[in-house]
This record gives sequence, C-alpha cells and structure tokens, in this order.
Amino acid sequence: MGSRMTRTGDAMAESLVAPRQVTGSGDMHVVLRYTIPGRASSDLRDDDAGIALPSGAQALLEAEYENMLACVRCGLCLTSCPTYVLTGNENEGPRGRIALVRALTEGRIPLTDELLTHEDNCLACDACTDVCPAGVHMGPIQVALRAAAEPAVRRPVWVRALRTMVFDWLFPSMPRFRFLVWLVWIYQVSGIRAVLRASGFLRLIGMSDADDLLPPFVPDFLIASGQTYPPEGDGSDGAETVDLFAGCVMSTALASVDHATVRVLQRSGCAVSCPSGQGCCGALHAHSGDRAGAVSLAQSTIASFEVGGDRPVIVNSGGCGAMLKEYGHLLADDLDWASRAKRFSSRVMDASEFLATRTLPVMHPIGAGSVRVTYQDACHLSHAQKITSQPRELLRRVPGLELTEMAERSLCCGSAGVYNVTHPETARELGSRKAESIIATGAEVVVTANPGCYLQLRARLQATGSKTEVRHIMELLDEATAPVIAR
Amino acid sequence: MTILRTDVVTRVSRATRVAMATDLRRLVTTGDVLDATTDIEVYGYDASFLTQLKPVVPDLAVIARSEADVIAVMRYAHEHRIPVTPRGAASGCGAGCVALRGGIVLALNAMNRVIEIDGPNGQAICEPGVVHARLNELVAQSGLIFPPDPGSSRMATVGGMASTNAHGVRAVKYGPTSSWVLGLTVVLPNGDVIETGSVGSRAKQSASGLELTKLFVGAEGTLGVITRLRLKLLPRPKARAMVFAVFDVLERAGEAVQAVYRSGISPSAIEILDSRSLRAANLYRPDLGLREAEALLLFEVDGNPAGVRWDAEQIAETVRPLAVEVDWSDQEPRIAKLWEARSVVGAAVGALRPGSTRAYAGEDICVPLSRIPETLRGIQELSVKYDVPVATYGHIGGGSLHPAILVNGRDPDDVRRVIALTDAIHHLALDLGGTVTGEHGVGAARAPYMTREHGAALETMRQIKRALDPHGIMNPATIFPEDVPPTPALDASLVTGGT
Repeated sequence: MGSRMTRTGDAMAESLVAPRQVTGSGDMHVVLRYTIPGRASSDLRDDDAGIALPSGAQALLEAEYENMLACVRCGLCLTSCPTYVLTGNENEGPRGRIALVRALTEGRIPLTDELLTHEDNCLACDACTDVCPAGVHMGPIQVALRAAAEPAVRRPVWVRALRTMVFDWLFPSMPRFRFLVWLVWIYQVSGIRAVLRASGFLRLIGMSDADDLLPPFVPDFLIASGQTYPPEGDGSDGAETVDLFAGCVMSTALASVDHATVRVLQRSGCAVSCPSGQGCCGALHAHSGDRAGAVSLAQSTIASFEVGGDRPVIVNSGGCGAMLKEYGHLLADDLDWASRAKRFSSRVMDASEFLATRTLPVMHPIGAGSVRVTYQDACHLSHAQKITSQPRELLRRVPGLELTEMAERSLCCGSAGVYNVTHPETARELGSRKAESIIATGAEVVVTANPGCYLQLRARLQATGSKTEVRHIMELLDEATAPVIAR
Repeated sequence: MTILRTDVVTRVSRATRVAMATDLRRLVTTGDVLDATTDIEVYGYDASFLTQLKPVVPDLAVIARSEADVIAVMRYAHEHRIPVTPRGAASGCGAGCVALRGGIVLALNAMNRVIEIDGPNGQAICEPGVVHARLNELVAQSGLIFPPDPGSSRMATVGGMASTNAHGVRAVKYGPTSSWVLGLTVVLPNGDVIETGSVGSRAKQSASGLELTKLFVGAEGTLGVITRLRLKLLPRPKARAMVFAVFDVLERAGEAVQAVYRSGISPSAIEILDSRSLRAANLYRPDLGLREAEALLLFEVDGNPAGVRWDAEQIAETVRPLAVEVDWSDQEPRIAKLWEARSVVGAAVGALRPGSTRAYAGEDICVPLSRIPETLRGIQELSVKYDVPVATYGHIGGGSLHPAILVNGRDPDDVRRVIALTDAIHHLALDLGGTVTGEHGVGAARAPYMTREHGAALETMRQIKRALDPHGIMNPATIFPEDVPPTPALDASLVTGGT
C-alpha cells in the first residue's frame, strides 16, 4: 500500500506510458478483456467505414473548431434540447452533437449515417446556445456541418430533385413563390383539397401532416416594390422611416400579418418603406446544408436594402430576423461583403423589439371583458435574438388582456422551419406537447411572432379540438390600435 | 490550425462488440442498445478535463428505460464478466461515469419518472434519471423542497447526486444528499435486486439494521446500480434573503464567515467568489454590475419573512466592519439573479481568457474553515508558479472550494502545466487537513489520492467492494487507486499538430 504513496503527478506520468501492473491487494480487479465466443462474422455490421468526407468539408468544419472547443461538457444544455428531452439519447442532445462534429473534425470518427441522422434531427431551435454558459454558438456549427456533409448525403433522386426545385428555383424568386402560393389558394378554395382529404389520399402519400399546416388565406399579397406607406398618429415620437423586410411566406400566405405590421408601424408614427428586390432571407437554405444558396440570398437582400441607408430594417418573423442578424457572421470571410453584411445586420430589428421603444396610440381591449392570452416564444426570437420581454411588454399594454405563462415556455413547438415537413413524427410530438401546455393555461388566445410557430400551433391545437385562437402579435396589436371607427 | 488528435480506443474486437450488442438487443426490452462507432463516442466523456483531453469510449452503451433493462444488463455482464459503468447526466467532473476498463456504459438518464410525491409523509419516490431542478419544481407544488442543491441543478440527476453524495450550496445548513435519501432500490452486480431502508417502508426515521442506504450513496456505481430512490423532503421555507458583502482583503472574507457563525446565525448558504470569478460573472451577466474586489461573499438565509430580514440585517451588521460594501435583499428577482450568476460562473470563467476553456480538474477541494484564507492564497501562489489562470469560488460556509483552472487545450505546454497545478492543488488540500473532493466524488481523476487520504481505511472499503462485486465489474477503476486506467489519463502528448 505504502509503496504507492508517490506524488500523483508522477503516478499519472507513469500511467501514461503503459498499463500499470496491478500489484499487492489490488488483485480484485481482474477484468481487463473479455470475449463473447461462438459468433459468426456474418453478424458484423459494416457501419464503421463511414462516408468519405467531401472535399472542402474539413476547412468548413475547422472554421468552427474554436467554437466546438468552447464546450466544456457541463451538460447544462441537455434539458433545453427538444430531441434530448424526447429521446434521452446523448447523441440527440447538443453536447453530444458537438462532441460528434468535434470528433469528426479531429478525424477520430468517420462520417456515418448515424451521425448525419442525429445532426439532421436537430431542430436548430438554438435553445442550447441560449443557455450555454461557455459561449458555444450551435447555429454556425450546424450550418458548417450540414454544408460540409451535404455533397456526401445519400438522398433519393426525387428528394434531390425536390430540393433543387425548392432551394434553387422557388425561394430565390418571389414571382415564382407568389405563383405557387396562388396555386395553393386555388387548391384550397376549389374543393380539390376537400376531395383529397376526404378520400384519404393525403394520408396515403404521407402528406396529411403537411397539409394540416396550410392556413386558410386570401391571396392579398404584399408586394415590396419600393412603395412607402405614410406615417399616422400624433407624431409624438417624431416621424421616422423604417424599411420593412416583407419575407416570402409572410408576404404571401400570411400577407394579412404583413399588412397588419405596416398599419401598426404607421400608427406608431413611422413611414414604412418596402424596398424592391427583396425576397427570401435564406434561413431554410442555411439550415438545410445549402450554404451557397443562403449566401446568394443574403447578398441580394443586403443589396436591396442599402437604399435605406442606416434606417432600421423591421422584420415580423423570428426565424427570418435571426437569419438577417446572422448575415454578418455568414459573410465574415467574404472580403467584398463582410462590412456590408455587418452593417445590414446591425440595422435589423424585430417588429416587437422596435415597437417596444415607441408610443402606440390608445389601445382598445381586443374582446368584451378580459381576455386571457399566453405568449409562445419563437425559438429564433427568444433563443437566437434574446427577445422575450418586449413582446410581453407590448401585450401588457393592451387593456383587459391578461397575460399568462405556459409550462416549458422555452421548449420548441416542433415547427423549426421545414422540420414539421421533414420530421413529421417528432414535430407532431413536440407540437402536441406544446398544445397541452397552452391548453393548460386556459388561454383563449395564443400569440406568437413567427410564421412557422403560427402554422404549427394552429395545426396541433386544431388536432386536439381546442378552440384556442392562434394570432401573430402584429395582428393582435393591429386590432388593439385600430381607430375605433374601423373596428 | 492545431487540432487535438487522439486515437480511437478499441478495447475488444469488433466481433465481440457486435455479439454483445446482438445479445443485449434481445435482452433489453424497453431501452436502446448503441454500438455504432459514432453513437458510442458521446458516452466517452463527462465534464472532467481528463475526458475532455481524451474521451474514454465504451464498447457499447445501453440507454435503460426500466429496471428490467438494468437487471438484464447486469445478469448478462455478470455472466460474461463485462465491466458496467452507470451514468446519469454525465455532468460530473471526475470521470466517474466513463468506461475506464471498457465494457458497457449504462445510461440511466431516461429512467426519469417521478413515481410518487407523498406529501403527507414528506417523501418522493423517483427513478434515478430525474433531473434535480425538475424534482424540485414538482415537489414545490406540494409546498415541499428536496434540500440538496448542487450548482448543476438544471442538469444533474438525482441518481448521480446520490451516487456521488453531492452536496451543493445549501449543504452548510441541510447536509449532503446522503441526509436526504431514506431508501434505495439497487440492482447488484449479479443482477439481484435489493431494497435498502426497509422493504416497502415509508418511515422517515429508522435504526434498523446496517445502514446500507448510506453505503450505496457515494459509492459512485462501484457497488451496484440505483434504480429507484426514496427521498426525504422538507416543508419549503416561506422566504429567503441574501446578504452580499465585498472585501478588498481576502483574509477578511474568512474572518467574516467566522464572525457570522459566532453571532449565532446558521445561513442556508455562504458562497465566495474571488476576484477572477467576479470578473467572469460580470462578463457573463454585465447587468449584475458586481463590484470587482478580492472577494465577494453571498450569505443566504431562509425561513419566515420576518426572520430572514432580521437574520440578513444581523449578518450585514456583523460583516460591515470587515467589508468595503455590504447590502442585502429579500427581493426574489435580485436573489435569483445573483444565484444564477453564481451557478454559471464555473463554466463562464472560460470567457476570462480568449482561446481558453474551463478545465474541470482539481476543482473540488474542501479544507477546514479556519484554513480557507490560507488555501485561497495558496491557490493564487500556485497559479502564479505554474502560470495558469485560476478563478476560485465555492461554498465557503462548509470549506468547499472550486478552483476553476483555465486551459488552452491545444497548447501541450499549457496542458502539462495544468496537470502539475492540479496535482499541487490536491496536495495543498491534503496538507492543510482537507480532502481532494468535498462534494463531486472521486471518479478516476481523484483515485490516485485515495491511498494518501484514507490510509488503512481504504483496504476496508476494498473488502466491502470485493464482497459485493467479486468479479470487479462495477465501474472498475473508479475510487480504487490500483485501478487507475491504463489508458493515458492526463497526457500532454495527446496534443499534436502544427499551427
């Protein structure tokens, strides 16, 4: 016993060289190696070879290596992560995902289907980044890995074709996007949808979850073509001109929210300019491994807003806002664009972030008597942009509105961009969990500030038969600030 | 770019690994068996610096979802003499939940049901994977509290807390986890199941038989696997208040703690943050605006509203002559904010030096109260000697200190100096009549000090271990020093590559 009482630094140094000979009374630990005999080699799964890392992948990953090393593995992120909460699998949590991508970068593990699946299951809700005390930023790591791995990802031909159509053809062009949304409107009002639903065809082709997400709408699109809406109100804050980022989904399928946003901004005394040439922010591209597509959309967005100088760029979608604020990082290594991107990102403000600093005209109650409302934090507004108090503050200004908080308020609702289309099961599970939390508050209205959440909450609440109304915060403020005569 | 490169650890042949996985997939009925190279990678670490340098990847991992899964794994492991390492949230700092001898990591975090909150009897029955903060949220609805409160409340599982006998910030008044565990269900290394603390009992006290509950609490999974816990709860105090006192001379902070005890007040927590920790807290939470000085003390008192105000005023008056700034608050938002800064300072210290991260090594010493100022000065001197930044904070009320070492993990020389500094801090604690682990547990990282710390008592511990685990399959190489892993532990040579 006594012989082992050396300074431990020495003992450690010894142990580095070779397995220590176990001596003295330490003979109890006999287990060093073991075998399970009698197995045929046919049991072997050939999953260890992995997929070759595409060229250029290593550089993309190494650019985020410092970020990965910041993870001290304390585990604080685990319970904030929707997929970890659902599965209890370390691979499905932020700490595990960082460990995997770090090991991949260090060349210790190969790129495997398992790794890609765990990564793909991430909702990119950024809840982990929000709670991380060591300052790890999950978003850029994920964008890097998805972009690095994309060329090696095995997808069915039709999926590849669909991705090309969506990412390269549809989203970069607002006229095409509007045409598609118009077709969806036709699909809804013509009775085709009713027939497909009733016949069970949608369920048969696995599209019923996606179809449930479609909102009823009228094609009253907001087309940003350089127009300016004049200010209203008493001008007590001084007239200011702001630029509106209209968005792709927001200006079409949810155009009523864009129109509401314009009206609320006008009533706060702002002129609202809608620069032409703007379109999709590229968030879906960035989170789906199409970094080049995201960069291209970022550049065209930045260019179209430069006409506004240093005016605030107002956005009413949490997901788009987070992406627009991320342009500075996305283009940081691009000599031609780095400073332009940084300048643009510094102008971006969520509508609630901006309006919280303004005086809004006298607010009316939104219903007869008091209305109980709960606010759903959109991940990319609360976690990525750290905007949680401003929307609540705006809601509290509405007379008769009783604001109540739901359980697990920082847990993702499962929408997460196109996640509810690509991972319907997990999305449904998270959405139902969120619906239960909302229903438990007894709220008549749930308010959110992101199109994805808006559609997801509508679908999941409807599925439970709940009467809880889902509204975008700008719709609610529009109603509360409308001149009495118009109500 | 320097990349940290380590080797893939393969302990058994692939055929064996696959055979085990095939068998276990048949036996484990509700859980998951992971054997893909990428899937088991993430079961090779906890928060320790040791596994940060080199993950110790198991041969496979099993995510247990029921007691039946645990029994199946243990029977199989017993039959084939396969090492089994239980794992909770892997938020520990001692590499106590990694498969140091290979074999199976048995993840218990998904066994996370709170089975019953027995309000009238002041008890909670739960599975080991329940996260501490969640348990306390649930029992709060019945006006109760599970008093042990680790800084890692939002990640630590109660099973892990029991296994390491975690203490936390309120141990100074309420004692360690072991004081709050009334009984355990344990799957023994051979797969048999026992219930400690009297079978089916809901008694809050017991003097019956050998105290087996306390044997398994703190055993770090070396004696068996905890699958259920019967925990004791207290009525939740109605109010709390916090006194914060800033000191420009470290020694006066130590004197202040003694003075408060002499005044007859028993705070529910007494925390210290040294100057570097204050810096880190301010970097993480600039809105706190903490005054940066040699030390900040936080005294928390709990009880009834009038009582906590009286206590807080009394403490403030007592420490005022020693401090440069004293204030107190019974406003919950302010208290919660200060606690939050305190709870994250451990990981936030990484922000102190760009390119560096927190190294969880030498982070858990405990010394006699009378020697705290000496210890803090000693750590600062060692920090200078080894040229490694160290921020120290901890539960000064109990003498438990957490030196937070900063390391640039890609600089081999830095890593070497951190290894030497860690060793020196451990010996400093022992020299001053303390211990190498006040509340986090031994794991593999502190196993080398067990002989010096326990002397002949270590042999008695070993006899107990041998009696319960004759084949040595339960979490081998944890606690018992002869079993320090043959894999490189803290190896500076692991860091390679150019710039």
